[in-house]
Amino acid sequence: MPSKLTELAVERPGSTVAFVIILTLIFFSQFPKILIDTDPRNMLPETSPVRVYNDQMESLFALHRDTIVLGIENPAGLFNTATLERVARFTDAIMRIKGVVIPDVMSLTTADNVLSENGQLIVRPVMDHVPQSEDEMTRLRDEIYDNPMLIGRLVSDDRTTTAIYVPLEEGADAKVIADSIRNIVSGEKGAERYYVAGDPVARDTFGHNMFMQMGIFSPIAGFIMMIALYIMFRNIMLVAAMMSVAFFSIIWSMGLLIGLGFPVHIMSSMIPVFLMAISTDSVHIFNEFYFRLREVKNKKQAILETLAVVGPSVRYTALATAAGFGVLVIMHIIPVKVFGVFVAFGTIVIRLMSFSFIPALMMLTSDRKLMAMAERENEESGSGSKWLRRLGETGYRRSWIVITVGIVMIAIAITGLMRIRVNNNMVSWFKKGSDIRQADSVMNSLLAGTASAYIVAESSIPGAMKEPANLAAIEKLQKELEGLPVVGKTTSIADIVRRVNKVLHGNSPEYDTLPQSSDEIAQYLFLFGMSAKPRDLENVVTADYDKANIFLQLKTWDAVAMRDVLNKIEEFKSSRPDLDIAFKPAGISYFNMVWNDEVLFDMMKGFILALIAVFIILVINFRSVRWGLISYIPLLFTIIIIYGFVGFIGKDFDMPVSVLSAMSLGMAVDFAIHFIRRFQQRYEEDRDIEKALLWTAARPGKGIIRNAILFASAFSVMIFAPLTPYVTVGLFIAGMMAISSLMTILFIPAIIRVFGRWVV
Amino acid sequence: MTKYLGLFLLVMLSITVSPALLRAEDAADIIRKSQDAFFAQGKDMQARVKMTLLSKSGQQRLRELTMLRKNGIGGEQKYFMYFHNPADVRGTSFIVYKYPGRDDDRWIFIPAINLVNRIAAKDSRSSFVGSDFTYEDVSGRDPEADTYKYVREDTIQGKPCHVIESTPKNPAEYTRKLSWVDKATYLPLKDEYYDVQGSLYKVFTADKVEINGGFPTVTKRSMENIKSGHKTEVVFENVSYNVGIGDDVFSERYLRKPSEKWIK
Repeated sequence: MPSKLTELAVERPGSTVAFVIILTLIFFSQFPKILIDTDPRNMLPETSPVRVYNDQMESLFALHRDTIVLGIENPAGLFNTATLERVARFTDAIMRIKGVVIPDVMSLTTADNVLSENGQLIVRPVMDHVPQSEDEMTRLRDEIYDNPMLIGRLVSDDRTTTAIYVPLEEGADAKVIADSIRNIVSGEKGAERYYVAGDPVARDTFGHNMFMQMGIFSPIAGFIMMIALYIMFRNIMLVAAMMSVAFFSIIWSMGLLIGLGFPVHIMSSMIPVFLMAISTDSVHIFNEFYFRLREVKNKKQAILETLAVVGPSVRYTALATAAGFGVLVIMHIIPVKVFGVFVAFGTIVIRLMSFSFIPALMMLTSDRKLMAMAERENEESGSGSKWLRRLGETGYRRSWIVITVGIVMIAIAITGLMRIRVNNNMVSWFKKGSDIRQADSVMNSLLAGTASAYIVAESSIPGAMKEPANLAAIEKLQKELEGLPVVGKTTSIADIVRRVNKVLHGNSPEYDTLPQSSDEIAQYLFLFGMSAKPRDLENVVTADYDKANIFLQLKTWDAVAMRDVLNKIEEFKSSRPDLDIAFKPAGISYFNMVWNDEVLFDMMKGFILALIAVFIILVINFRSVRWGLISYIPLLFTIIIIYGFVGFIGKDFDMPVSVLSAMSLGMAVDFAIHFIRRFQQRYEEDRDIEKALLWTAARPGKGIIRNAILFASAFSVMIFAPLTPYVTVGLFIAGMMAISSLMTILFIPAIIRVFGRWVV
Repeated sequence: MTKYLGLFLLVMLSITVSPALLRAEDAADIIRKSQDAFFAQGKDMQARVKMTLLSKSGQQRLRELTMLRKNGIGGEQKYFMYFHNPADVRGTSFIVYKYPGRDDDRWIFIPAINLVNRIAAKDSRSSFVGSDFTYEDVSGRDPEADTYKYVREDTIQGKPCHVIESTPKNPAEYTRKLSWVDKATYLPLKDEYYDVQGSLYKVFTADKVEINGGFPTVTKRSMENIKSGHKTEVVFENVSYNVGIGDDVFSERYLRKPSEKWIK
């Protein structure tokens, strides 16, 4: 029974096409409003406690959300006039860039050093003028390396590298500023090497690349699909039909997303390619239509019959795919939510088009051409079909061998699954050879680390952070944290007090300690604040001295790095029950850890829900629990194999990979639905299991393989993308298609052979 | 091209007859008078100063001190500051000897360790006790360090003012400063500071002017950092001039044991 929608489309093909085009234009009109968002903070809702606390602390300690680091390395040594002159010149030039917070730019020429000279206490910039003589140079070097607070932050241990920290005003585009900084250093002729690093650079560069990805790779993927389609069907009109469906669904869902004011995030930037792949499901319609046309010789009748037999499977596969993505709605991570909803929306659009736009276009295609093509489609003689028939035969006749091999493979895959590490690291989303990744790894090896976090020491008592015992505790915790391999350096109020104490006493080593009275501590801090910038003190302690901020430099952007830090803090707390201080984490690295954990939890939850939803859809579809289970097997198999592989190669289970899990559910189930439905139809006509199975492998099986090839070819383009998440997604989707299509054609016959009596 | 030539001539013409050019000579003079009226009124001065440092997040830090000033010859000045609050720094005090054209001498007394230490004052840009005022804003900048231009006349707070633009000869914290100088008292009523990006980042305002001992005195002032949102409000209480402060007050002995007479 063809649906009303299809009949309407077949009766009035012209109006149908025109109507769809007009609607598409309406959605397209929203595109100019596009916004890009790559800030990890926006992964969590604004009201989430982590985000609220983080914002409070940033404001309390006047901390900058985003800082770019410029590393300047001279392998022959930093301490020569030419290099230091460059540092001074760059600092001045960087301050002139719009969007840079001038007073907080930190470099050798602007950061304060506290030192003692001829009994005088001096607070002045680390380098107030560039030394011109050997003596001056030696003195500057000794001054710097005498102050532990500067080592690892402003200068490297090995005396080759210095850094300029460039804080950004809120809303400044870090990529634009990073490019200006690169411009400033690019004309230099010296031996120095320059590195531009920092989280905002990675983020905004990623955002810019995302645009490129959407603008270049989606069209290329489309083009490849067009070529593959043409090779399969040799008909421009059909290729056009399918490509239009993909194109329309992309414009509809992206137009709706932008129109509703959602920013485009890494996840949503993948929507176009996903929809393009999902639209390939229409292949089943064409596949059957060609077989049918050869049999009935009447176009209109062939169209209506095709949709009558393929319709239900197409409807249910759409439902299953939409459900697979739709469950993402219940996630906490906002971009994942948005991604799920709009892919589901796009999937439904594609299905509506399959029943309306595609038949309408078929009606508008010349009969003669179609007939010529249809003559080639024959499940008995076509070479593809022959091969598929053989594959189905293998599954059926050697069912036990096939099933045993399957079980062994699953066992191996499960050991891989055990090794999966959940981790997100934005820097590793760039390729190994990329500037950003190299800058980051060099800076992490030379300095104390480019990733940052804060540990806020909180007490309910004002003045607590002037108590010697509390400062000692903070210092003790710092020492323990610095013992971790992921922590490069920590800085706190305790470091400042210790430094002032030593300097005030003529640099005498015996005063390199924390003072023993709170008045002394208060007066040292006051003295420090007398000559430093207001920010210097504001960053490390509150006005009431009830909270202090420990600044952490981490060696890696791995989200899991922060877990070690938190464990160490817990350990410290339990060893000091006498302490009346709470230690709370904040800052960008902590953020990454939190949403990383959320992603995991969300994905587990979403995955289980999707599994249930898809199973329910399968049972409704087949009106049988048993068939539901059988069609479930290839799906589970594919997922276990894919993720087992992820575990084996040691690839982090990060956000892009986690989204694949939802994807794989929705996709892999399609093939099983098509296969089993068509097998059932055939079996009703002629009650011979083996014949029916082999026919299914040869005829709808060809549709399945065609679908898989199209899908995989479209996604394989992503392997050449400049960003690793796209590469990963491309590879895995291609792999998934190959595995799940072969699984369907090989395993379902084997299962039906073994458990045949139970279901048929 | 001719269009631009005409425009150029018009601009040139307007420049040659503008009051700004006529008053260029006066600009430096006005600033000098303003510095005197603001930083060096009378022979000496005594005041109780209350500073409130306000951060963007609403935190307050308080500073309360007694300030003594004595003018010397040729623009030299001596300052003595004694901190009453916050309580845990009470007794901290310091002395500044100001010389025109060279670095100050400063000494500080830290009561907790009973130590007098000389502190170098190399960076005029550094903040005065953590406030938004720099040392220069507290005791005056060397008038020779900038070049001046008379910009226009203006009226603020209902008072007619000269508006003078200062440009540092050597790199300083600001690249340009606009000062509104009261025509009657020569007190600065407002300063706008511009940074290397050409944007306004700091604003000084004289919020209250009172006559003390015959001298117009700014008794309430504030400095706001537009970009960081940090602000400092300063109130001068019990301001008195020509009270006869002796030179002995500005010595190490007084640093350790200031006389009750001056430190009220």
